[in-house]
Amino acid sequence: MTFRGVAARLFALVRGRRLDRELEDEILAHLEMAEKDSIARGLSREEARIAARHQFGGIEQMREEHRERRSFIGIGNLARDFRFGLSALARDPGFAVIAVSVLALGIGANVAMFSIVDAVLLKPLPFPNPDRLVRVWEAPRPGVTNATSTLDFLDWKRLGTTFEALAAEAPVSVALTGSGEPVRLSGKTVTSDYFRVFATKPLIGRTFTAREGQRGASAVVVLSYGIWQAQFGADPNILNRRVILDGESHQVIGVLPPGTGDRDHPQLWKPLIFTPDQYLRESHWLMVHGRLREGVSLIQARAQMRSIQSALVEVTPFWKRKWSIVVEPLDRLLVGANLRQSIFVAFGAVLLVLLIACANVANLLLAKGAARTREIAIRTALGASRGRLFAQLATETLALCLLGGAAGLAAASLLIRTAGPFVSRSLPYPAPLVLDYRLFVFAAGIALGVALLVGVLPSLQTSVGNLEQSLRQAGRGSSGARHNVRRYIVAAEIALSLVLVCGALLLFKSLFNLQQIETGVRIESIVTMSMNLPTKAYPTPTRAATFYEVASERVRGVPGVLQVALSTHLPLRWISNGEAVEVMGINEPVNVRFKRVDPGYFGTFGIPVLAGRGINELDRRSARRVVVINQALARRLADTAGLKNPVGRIVRLYCPRYVARGTDTEEVEIAGIIRSERVAAPGLPDPAVVYVPLAQVPDQAVTLIVRTKGDPSSVVSGIRAVIGDIDPNLPLGDIATMHEVREQTVSGASRPAWVIGAFAIVAVCLTAIGLYGVLSQVVTQRRREIGIQMALGARARDVVLHIMRSGLSLIMMGLVLGMFGAFALTRVMKNLLFGVSPLDPFSLLLACLSMTLIGLLAGLIPASRAAHVDPVMTLREEG
Amino acid sequence: MSNQKAEIPYGTLDLLLLRTLETMGTMHGYALARRIEQVAGDSLQLSQGSVYPALIRLEQEGWIDTDWGISETNRKVKFYSLTKAGRKQLLLEVANWEKTAALVARFLEADS
Repeated sequence: MTFRGVAARLFALVRGRRLDRELEDEILAHLEMAEKDSIARGLSREEARIAARHQFGGIEQMREEHRERRSFIGIGNLARDFRFGLSALARDPGFAVIAVSVLALGIGANVAMFSIVDAVLLKPLPFPNPDRLVRVWEAPRPGVTNATSTLDFLDWKRLGTTFEALAAEAPVSVALTGSGEPVRLSGKTVTSDYFRVFATKPLIGRTFTAREGQRGASAVVVLSYGIWQAQFGADPNILNRRVILDGESHQVIGVLPPGTGDRDHPQLWKPLIFTPDQYLRESHWLMVHGRLREGVSLIQARAQMRSIQSALVEVTPFWKRKWSIVVEPLDRLLVGANLRQSIFVAFGAVLLVLLIACANVANLLLAKGAARTREIAIRTALGASRGRLFAQLATETLALCLLGGAAGLAAASLLIRTAGPFVSRSLPYPAPLVLDYRLFVFAAGIALGVALLVGVLPSLQTSVGNLEQSLRQAGRGSSGARHNVRRYIVAAEIALSLVLVCGALLLFKSLFNLQQIETGVRIESIVTMSMNLPTKAYPTPTRAATFYEVASERVRGVPGVLQVALSTHLPLRWISNGEAVEVMGINEPVNVRFKRVDPGYFGTFGIPVLAGRGINELDRRSARRVVVINQALARRLADTAGLKNPVGRIVRLYCPRYVARGTDTEEVEIAGIIRSERVAAPGLPDPAVVYVPLAQVPDQAVTLIVRTKGDPSSVVSGIRAVIGDIDPNLPLGDIATMHEVREQTVSGASRPAWVIGAFAIVAVCLTAIGLYGVLSQVVTQRRREIGIQMALGARARDVVLHIMRSGLSLIMMGLVLGMFGAFALTRVMKNLLFGVSPLDPFSLLLACLSMTLIGLLAGLIPASRAAHVDPVMTLREEG
Repeated sequence: MSNQKAEIPYGTLDLLLLRTLETMGTMHGYALARRIEQVAGDSLQLSQGSVYPALIRLEQEGWIDTDWGISETNRKVKFYSLTKAGRKQLLLEVANWEKTAALVARFLEADS
């Protein structure tokens, strides 16, 4: 084909209508001339017309050939069929509305879900070359990661040539004062390479120099965009301002651009300056991030860290010589395995919903195809080829699916707008859910996929029918084979729904189990708030201990307060960083979680003392050192050190120092054993915990716990006033009731339950519609048969039973199929379940029963219609 | 009735049309169809309508030109004429045809 030919054909695409008109003119002129010639040869007018038509040949075939010849076969038709498809949809608005809304539901849910997957799993981290970002840990044993000690970090930094930059950070909490009410800000102290690791450029000013990470440097701070807006009114002259943090004046040197915070939402960054007492290998407190050099692989970095580990073995304390160093890519860390799995399961569920929606639309199309058999047969008789007919039907479906896709996109944007903020909150780091081009591409892809899925079968069925048979049978509805296909599709829908319902029931059952979980603590009417004592105002442990005693005493006097406690950690909250307990004479230390509590703690939470005593007011700093242990630690001590009766025994305990880093070894007496309270998220075993009197080993960060008479939130202002009275520069933060704390701990498991529950409901509704449609058609087709049966004496009850039986056989087929699916799929969710087996017979049975019930309900309407068939009427109209 | 009449061999309609236009000059579709029928006599079964799809292709390739004129029945109708490129194409098609015919003839001779 010449270039000119191609151009002409392309041109013909756009002026198809004009070419058609011109052809019509030519045909008319041709026939007239032929007629005239024949009349001249002596034929009558009528004979001449017939002769002219005969000589001309099939006009419709010629038109079709003309169109195919002058343009690219397919494309020209495509555009025409598309228009035809749209107008066909417009002619049958009921079908169009149902099909498009079913598709919109399926596609919309998928696009919305994809926006979450995209934001959390697919979009790269908001840092340049995120694939080179790693996190480096010390690992006591495989699978367990630990923070890093100062000396280890400095050695890694010195020896680790595979890193372009390596930085350590530690969380910091400071009180911002000087402008009204004191405010608690959380942030990070970071080494000077931190911003090089993340390749973050400041919006205003600069970030830290190496000099500012040295001892004696002047105090500087970098602010987050959010805090610059909220606390400093986006002051453009912020770089000329000094701010008071923990009573110390700091120079603001920079503001970071918005969205640069990672998952912890830090509000400010300060240089991390190591004090002489922090140069230790025993105290693990640093989080280390690195940026690999260009071209360095993770494997190379790991190999180097291994050799560094063995090079340092001489200087490593004997008890951590078997530890290793773990280098992990950062993307894996930002999304926990559990969240990742929840997302995958939810995405799988929404795909099932889409499949069911497809099945429904395919069924609708098949039914429509059945109704169109006559139209198709006539078109075939007029010379349309099978291929052309197939193409036409397929393009009609495509038009339908693209409409569905567009509607789905609209539905998704609505969903994202309404549910987006809620979902964002439950994500681990700020992942904005937005409708961007990736979603458009995804929606278009899905629409095309759906078109393929739902279009091919019905189009084939309809276009490759037997012409003669179709013409003869057209008045009587569809053939048996087509009807069977529809039945199988509905059975498949039932199977898919069953899988979803099963999954949802299992998740809800584990949610129920979580609600019933034994926390080991009384959490009713308890409100908690955190405090952080600045080093400047509370430089010594004695000052801190005195403050706690006074604060606890004064808060107890606030009206509405029943009990008051102070602790470094709340129940149901993870206690990080282990310390160790050593039994005298045994060199193997037992790793323990270190929790400091005041005398009110066990009483406020109703934690029973099982042996010995709890912590009381006499356990002051000057008194003999004591600890209380939980059952889990008592068991560990019995196992590892053969300490059968630990109460009254002296053990060696590593105690973190006040303000300074590092630990002191103290000999302490085990005063009592308490029943284990829940520390971790459900599903994990209770760790060994040692409870140390807060007065003996004070800490700067504590949580105030208050049990109230009435509404816990009513006492907050009273408490604030009392604390402000003692120290006007001390802000209270993280105000939360224990119910809220509990929700946060168990919410990880509840998140997918609601999502999948919602999907299951949608799926069941779609399936019910599908079943209703098929049974309705059965009734319509068998009107005559039913009429005859009734004329022969069948009662209405028999007819209803007959239809219901046909529905029930479909349901059973679906349930059997679905069981296989449920077995396969629920296995995937194993890790998301709590206290329930993936093959929980109760859930499976309930799912089957509810599916059967809903199926029978869907069948009831068509069945009752069948019972009202008037035999005389049907026989007359069909006879 | 169609036993003795041959269908137009595939691909030769283009050749017939170009050749007819070459000898007869400008003419409309009906006249073209009639002329081909006349020349072929009774040996060809032609649906007259089939010239139109062929003509549009020839026009698109630039081998023939069209002009609007008035038919004998006073109707607006397209008149077709051969272009320069069309003359070249005709030579090519004739050469091709002769080659094919010679080849087939040789096979037939070889057989007898």
